[in-house]
Amino acid sequence: MKRKLFKGLKYLVLLVTSLLSLFPLLWMFVSATNTSVDILTGRLLPGSHLAENFRNLLAKADVGRALWNSLRNASVATIASLVVCSIAGYGFEVYHDKGKDFLMRILLLSMMIPFAAIMIPLFMMFGRADLLSTTTAFVLPTVSTAFLIFLFRQSARYFPKDIIEAARIEGMGELGIFFKMYVPIMRSTYATAAIITFMGAWNSYLWPLIIMQEPESITMPLLISNLIAGYVTDYGALMLAVAISVLPTIVIFLALQQNFAEGIISSMK
Amino acid sequence: MKKSVSLLLVLIMVFAVGSNLVLAQTDEVTITVWCWDPAFNIYAMEEAAKIYKEIAPNVKINIVETPWDDVQTKLTTAVMAGQTGTLPDILLMQDNALTKNVTNFPGTFVDLTDSGIDFTQFADFKVAHTTVDGRNYAVPFDNGAAINALRLDILEEAGYTLDDFKDITWTEYIEMGKDILAKTGKPLLTNVADSPDQIMAMLQSAGVWMFDEDGDVFIAENDVLKEIVEIYVEMVKSGVLVQVNDWEQYISTINRGTAAGTINGCWIIGSIVGQADQKGLWGITNIPRLERAANASNYSNQGGSSWVVLSSSKQADVAIDFLAHTFAGSVELYETILPSSGALATYLPAGDSDVYNEPHEFFAGQRVYADITDFASKVPQISYGVYNYEARDAVGTAIAQILAGADMNSALQEAEETVKFLMGP
Repeated sequence: MKRKLFKGLKYLVLLVTSLLSLFPLLWMFVSATNTSVDILTGRLLPGSHLAENFRNLLAKADVGRALWNSLRNASVATIASLVVCSIAGYGFEVYHDKGKDFLMRILLLSMMIPFAAIMIPLFMMFGRADLLSTTTAFVLPTVSTAFLIFLFRQSARYFPKDIIEAARIEGMGELGIFFKMYVPIMRSTYATAAIITFMGAWNSYLWPLIIMQEPESITMPLLISNLIAGYVTDYGALMLAVAISVLPTIVIFLALQQNFAEGIISSMK
Repeated sequence: MKKSVSLLLVLIMVFAVGSNLVLAQTDEVTITVWCWDPAFNIYAMEEAAKIYKEIAPNVKINIVETPWDDVQTKLTTAVMAGQTGTLPDILLMQDNALTKNVTNFPGTFVDLTDSGIDFTQFADFKVAHTTVDGRNYAVPFDNGAAINALRLDILEEAGYTLDDFKDITWTEYIEMGKDILAKTGKPLLTNVADSPDQIMAMLQSAGVWMFDEDGDVFIAENDVLKEIVEIYVEMVKSGVLVQVNDWEQYISTINRGTAAGTINGCWIIGSIVGQADQKGLWGITNIPRLERAANASNYSNQGGSSWVVLSSSKQADVAIDFLAHTFAGSVELYETILPSSGALATYLPAGDSDVYNEPHEFFAGQRVYADITDFASKVPQISYGVYNYEARDAVGTAIAQILAGADMNSALQEAEETVKFLMGP
């Protein structure tokens, strides 16, 4: 009886905390269907202004273009950094020696430098290379990050070395070992890394702000920032824009979440 | 042989004509502009482009929507990286930041003093904000003249009228505020906690700022500021002023009708009229004045922005000509943008136009635009200075400390030292 009560209490606490963390998200979706004044006066019920907000939003901003730009930039950034960082992390662990360990330490130190400190030199480099407003400029500075390399190096540490030896004896090349053996087994790590990178690229603001000079290269975070710039903010349209921009991340998270679980199960078989 | 020579000649002629055509096409000039509010300054810029199209059909105005904070980030990055080629020809700048940018980035902005633009046609206080070391750097744009907007129905409930609030002192304001609070349960004023906006508007109403004529910090010994702090603290303690957490909550107190009024730049009208249910229930008047301050007035300013021309622009002369024929020379432009955007200009000739003298339905038929234009002509002139934002933040922090119980003199002393530290030796 006591145990049951304790369990019930535990669920109650969990329920309350999950409600608390879900509430802002819920309010955002509800607010996307309400007018600006309704939102400011604290209306919590779904309204009938979704179509109107949608029309206002489309009149104010090119949402389609921003969505496409964000999707393209974030996808390219995710794929490129997964390839580069996983190879690097694998290399650091499998072919490891003192020199590479030292290099890894320097790499980790680079995580401590805030982006604002390297922003202006980076901007100068890309400006001189005539790469402003391009996907390349968006992606290049984040293709290789110390954090992802570290993540892949750590997971390579638990990759059975005997299999590598066996494959080498069987005559498989080093690239073959990486792509045919390491990559499939490490699916869960890839899923985690993909979620982290995609969300980072999708939400990134400061770098696209200064590097994407053309209005045609606007991304979703920049578009949302445009919506709150005026003397009067249309909160209905704003909430709708935020809701739209959150959807792809939710979809990708849920899709990879599935993969993530599968990866763990298959790697434990 | 002859054939090939004639063919060559024909080809040369075709190319010559073709390249002439190309030349004729490049005569088209594109002026890029950064500004941020689709309902207001972007809309105004679009209308200005239409007017200028009739004067110079070859000039195209390319507006890039960029929020102010982003304008500042991009401007700083480009100037520091020495890559001013990424900057536009014209950008809209917050008056609060103008002196800082002009001083910190010398040579980045075109000195417009001798450009032929007639600065005497703009409200004096506004020209003072856009002048650095006696030189004009911007074409003044929107009006931030302070208004005291009040809910007529709530005043009536407590036995007051809008006229009772005209040309009054803060003491009278607080007395009526206490009475209204007692009778209706509603505060007269709301303000975002830690936001120095209210204090700043009160300072400017007495023609005083946080820096003296030499640009030195003037906080700890500033008797006007001390009078303001005392008034502010009394308003909070008596409940006449209720502090809220953020801007959204502040707008909400207006739209929900939980406050009897608000004091802000006249642009707040845009948010007031958003609540259609309150049509006819609002009125505006001038703000209360200080009592001890020497140059106290019932007029002030809150916010506002102006157009600057970038020196890096390859067609700065066209950009200046464009501004001279539109924002600094066209009453028609201001007449067009007023009714739908509700945003007022500081271009004085526009104030005489019929559009500005129309009664406003939302404000019970009051001629609010004419009133505000009148207020704007009386706002005391001050210069915001290079370290304006630093000083605002420091004073904002000091107010929060004082409200929490700290001694006023030591809190202001601390604020002064903070600003001095940030200014460096």
